[in-house]
Amino acid sequence: MPGGWVGRPLPLKEDGRLVAGRGRFVDDLGRPRLLHAAMLRSPHAHARIVAIETREAETLPGVFAVLTGAEAAARSGPVRPLIPTTAVVPDYCLAVDRVRHVGEPVAAVAAVDRATSEDALERIRVEYAPLPVVVDPELAIRPGAPLLYPELGTNVVWHDTLTYGDVDAAMGRADGVLRERFAIQRYASTPLETFGGIAEYDPGTDVFEFWTNDQRPGLTISILAASLGVPQSRVRLSCPDIGGAFGNKRRPAYLLICALLARKTGRPVKWIEDRLENLTALMHACNGIMDVELAYRGDGTVLALSVRDIADEGKNLITPTQHNLIKLGNIANGYRIPAIRYEAWSVLTNKCPSGANRGIGKPFMCFAIERAMALLARRLGLDPAELRLRNYVTADQMPYTTPPGAQYDSGDYPATLRLALERFDYAGRRDEQARARREDWLLGIGIATSVEPAGTNLASYEIITGKRAASGSAEAAMVRMEPDGHVRVALGDPPSGQGYETVVAQIVADELGLDPEAVTVARGFDSTTTPWLYLSGNYSNKFSVTDVGAVVGAAARVREKLLRLAAHRLEVAVADLELGGGAVAVRGAPDRRLSFAELARTAYADVLGLPPGEEPGLESRHAHQNPLAKPVDAERRVRSQLVFSNAAHCCLVEVDRRTGLVRILKYVVVHDCGRELNPLIVEGMVHGATAHGIGAALLEEFRYDDQGQLLTSTFVDYLKPTAMDVPLIEVGRLEHPSPVTPLGAKGVGEGGAIPGPAAVANAVEDALAPLGVVIRSLPITPERVWRWLSRGADSASPAR
Amino acid sequence: MPAPRERLAVRLTVNGGPVERVVEARRSLADFLREDLGLTGTHVGCEHGVCGACTVLVDGRSVRSCLLFAAQLEGASVTTIEGLTPAEGLSTLQEAFRACHAMQCGFCTPGMIVTTTELLADQSAPSTEEIREAISGNLCMCTGYVNIVRAVEQAAAGRAAASGASA
Repeated sequence: MPGGWVGRPLPLKEDGRLVAGRGRFVDDLGRPRLLHAAMLRSPHAHARIVAIETREAETLPGVFAVLTGAEAAARSGPVRPLIPTTAVVPDYCLAVDRVRHVGEPVAAVAAVDRATSEDALERIRVEYAPLPVVVDPELAIRPGAPLLYPELGTNVVWHDTLTYGDVDAAMGRADGVLRERFAIQRYASTPLETFGGIAEYDPGTDVFEFWTNDQRPGLTISILAASLGVPQSRVRLSCPDIGGAFGNKRRPAYLLICALLARKTGRPVKWIEDRLENLTALMHACNGIMDVELAYRGDGTVLALSVRDIADEGKNLITPTQHNLIKLGNIANGYRIPAIRYEAWSVLTNKCPSGANRGIGKPFMCFAIERAMALLARRLGLDPAELRLRNYVTADQMPYTTPPGAQYDSGDYPATLRLALERFDYAGRRDEQARARREDWLLGIGIATSVEPAGTNLASYEIITGKRAASGSAEAAMVRMEPDGHVRVALGDPPSGQGYETVVAQIVADELGLDPEAVTVARGFDSTTTPWLYLSGNYSNKFSVTDVGAVVGAAARVREKLLRLAAHRLEVAVADLELGGGAVAVRGAPDRRLSFAELARTAYADVLGLPPGEEPGLESRHAHQNPLAKPVDAERRVRSQLVFSNAAHCCLVEVDRRTGLVRILKYVVVHDCGRELNPLIVEGMVHGATAHGIGAALLEEFRYDDQGQLLTSTFVDYLKPTAMDVPLIEVGRLEHPSPVTPLGAKGVGEGGAIPGPAAVANAVEDALAPLGVVIRSLPITPERVWRWLSRGADSASPAR
Repeated sequence: MPAPRERLAVRLTVNGGPVERVVEARRSLADFLREDLGLTGTHVGCEHGVCGACTVLVDGRSVRSCLLFAAQLEGASVTTIEGLTPAEGLSTLQEAFRACHAMQCGFCTPGMIVTTTELLADQSAPSTEEIREAISGNLCMCTGYVNIVRAVEQAAAGRAAASGASA
C-alpha cells in the first residue's frame, strides 16, 4: 500500500478538540425556543395505574405541556422492538395502565427549564394499585407467578433446548462430569454521558427532527417513523459526539416522548437523562443463572458441554432473547467441544429492562466456561494453563466451525496463551505464590481466555421466531474528493470514542495515496447527508466487519475514477498509472503526473474534459455486506456473529486477610484482533474493556430487594472502578489477520470485558484455595471475602 | 436561607473575566457555567458529586460544580477547561493527553485536565500512586485510566525536563 498509514499508532484527530472541552455533545446543543423535559417515574415495581391527575402541573407558570401514557397511546403507535421477537405486545413510550419496574416513565413535562419541569412533576398525582412483584427469574418461570403481561400468559419469552452432536452419549462415556451452577449480577457500562435528545416538529412540512446520542440511528429512525405515523423520509436524525455508549444508548421510546411533547407544544424539546434515571431505568445487562455440565476424559479433554441458561430480562420486550442467542454463538469459547447442548430461558421480571452492554451475554458465558475450566483443572490436578492448551482449537484447524455454527476464522489460541504466560512470568509467579503461602499471605493467579466475535447477523433470530424478519450485517460509507482534491468521508456508524475520524482517514489515505491530513471524516451522523442502512450504527463490535469494507469500497471507486480521468487526460492506459503523494503519475515517468486537485477540477468544473460517458463529480457511496452472514441451516446452526478475535488474561491478586479487600497486583492481556488499524486506538480499547471486566468482578451490582426496589441507584452504592481499582494493564498482541474482512482487522471493543470477570474470579479463588472456597457469583466484594475468610473452608459461595 | 426560586445577584470572575448575573438560588455552578455562560466544556456526569466530570477550579482548588450553587460564588474566581486552554494550541498537559490518547469518548476529559492541573500545580513530580489518588475522584468509563496516568506522568516529566533545561 502506498503510504502505509494503516497500522500506525497515529495520534487522534478528535483528541485535539476533546482535550480542550470542545467536543459537541447532545446536551451542548441548543435550539431557539427550546423547552426542557423531565419524566415522572414509577416508585413501584409492579402496579396498576388507577388515575393520573395533571391539572396542577399544567397550570404551573413556565409549563407548556404534560404528557401521560394514555395520551401517548392515543397520539403514537407502540414502540417496535429492536430485534425480531415473538413476544409482541403493544408497549408505548409511557406506561399506559400498568407499571412493571421501578423507574418506568409514566408522565412527562415540558417547561422553560429543567428545574421548572421537575417542579411540575411534584404536582402530578398518580394513584397506583400495587400488584404482586416477581424479581427472581426462577420464580418468574413457575406456574402461578405474577405475570408482567397477562396477555402473554407467561413470563417466559423464550424456552428451547438446542442440541448439537450426541451430548448424552458423550456424557455416558466420559471419565467424569463436572456439574456447577454459576450466577451473574446485573451491571452496566454506564457511559459517563447519559442518554438524551432533542426533538423538533415542523407542522408545515410534517417533518420531525432529532438530535440524539442514540448509537443505532438506522433502526431508530424506522422505529420513530412507525410510532409517529410519518414516512421515514420525514424523520431527520443527527448524532453529535457521543460520550460513550457500550450498547446502552438505544432507547427510541425517550425520543418519542420528546417528539410528542414537541408536536404538542410547537417548540423543540430537550431531555437529558439524569444519573438516577440512567442507573434505574435505561438498561442493565441481564443477570442470570447457568447450570453447566462439562464431560471430560481423565487427561482433561472436554467431550461435551451442556448448559441451562436463565437470562433475567427484567421488563424487556424490545431486545429479549438477545443475551441467550449471543451466548449460544460464543458457547465453545475457543475450545474444541464436539457435542454441545444449550437450554435457553429468556424470562421477564419486574426489574429495569435489560439490553445490550459491552459483550452482551458473553462475559457470563465466558465466566461460566472459564470458571468450570479452573475447577476441572483443580479436580484433575492439572495446571489450568495446560488444561486449556489441551482443548483449544489450534491454528491448523482454522477456519473452525463450532457445533452451533460459529466460525473461528483465524488465530492461534495456544500461542496467545503462551505469550500471555511469558509476559506474566507465570512460572515465576507460581514460585512467588508458593513462597507467599508459606508466609500465610494470600496470593492468587487467575487465567481466563476467550474468543471475541464481531459483527451481527440478524438472521440468527430465526432460531427463535421461526421466520426471517431481518438478516445480515452491513454498513454504508461515502467518500467524496472535493473540487480542491481534499477528501470528505461519512460513515453510517456514529462513533462513541472509537476514533473513526482518525482511523477512517488512515484507511482512505492508503486507498487513495494521500496524507490522512487531507481526509476529513464527518463527525457523528446526519440522516440527510450520511449514507446509512437499517443496520447502521455503533454496535456489535462491527467496525472491522462491515464499516471498513464500506470505506474501502467507496474509496476504491473514487480511486478507479481518478485513474480513468488521468488515463484520459494523459492518453495512457489505466494499467500504466499509479497513485501516490496526492497525484496520479505514469509508471516510470513521474514527471507525467496530474495532481488530485487538477483531476478533481476536471471532474467538477471542466466536465467537457471528462472521458466519454463519465459522470461528473468524484464521489462514491458503498455499502459492505459481510459475506459470512448466512441464514439458519436445517440443523439450527447459525453464525450469530461473524469474525473472531481472541485473548488471554493473566491476573495476580492479593487478598487482605483482615478486610477481605482484593487488590490486583499485576494484569496482563495478550490479544489478537487481526490486523491492528491503529494500535493506539486498539490498546486503549483493551484497557477500557478490561477495566469494565474488573468492575463487574469486584464492584458493580444493581441489587434489588424482593419488592423490586433498586438498592444501588447512585454512584455512591453502585460502585465503578476508579484509578485506585484498575491496575496498570499490560497489553501484548499477536496479529493473525482475518481472511474474511477487507483489511484483515477483527473486533476489539468488547474483548477485555469478556474474560475479565473470570480472570479475576479465578485469581481470587486461587488465592483462597487453601480454604476451599468456590466462587460461583460476582461481584467479589470485601464483605463476601471477609465472610469466607472468617467462616473457613466450608464457605463455598452459593450462586444467587 | 433563600427560597429555591429566589433570584440572587452574583458577581464573580470566570476564566479571568468579570461576570455579573442574577440567578435562581438553586442554580448549580455547573448549570450556570453551561447554560448561562455557554461554557459547555464542563460536563455533567452524575449530578451527585461522584463522577468528577464537572470539576472546575474555584480560587485554584478543584471543586465539583454540580455540588455548588452559583450564588455561593460571590467574589470567587472560577477556572474551567476553557480557561485552561491557550488561545492557540494546547497546554503541555493537554498535549500529553493527546499524545498518550488519554481519552476515548472525551466526556470525562475536561474534568481530568482540571484535576491534574491542580495536582501538577501542587506537586512538581508526583509518583504514579499520587497521580492515581489525585484522579480517583474522576470516573472514566472508557480508558481504564492507564493512558491518563501515563499522560500525567509524561506532562510532569516534560515540565521537569523543561525547568531543568532553563535552570
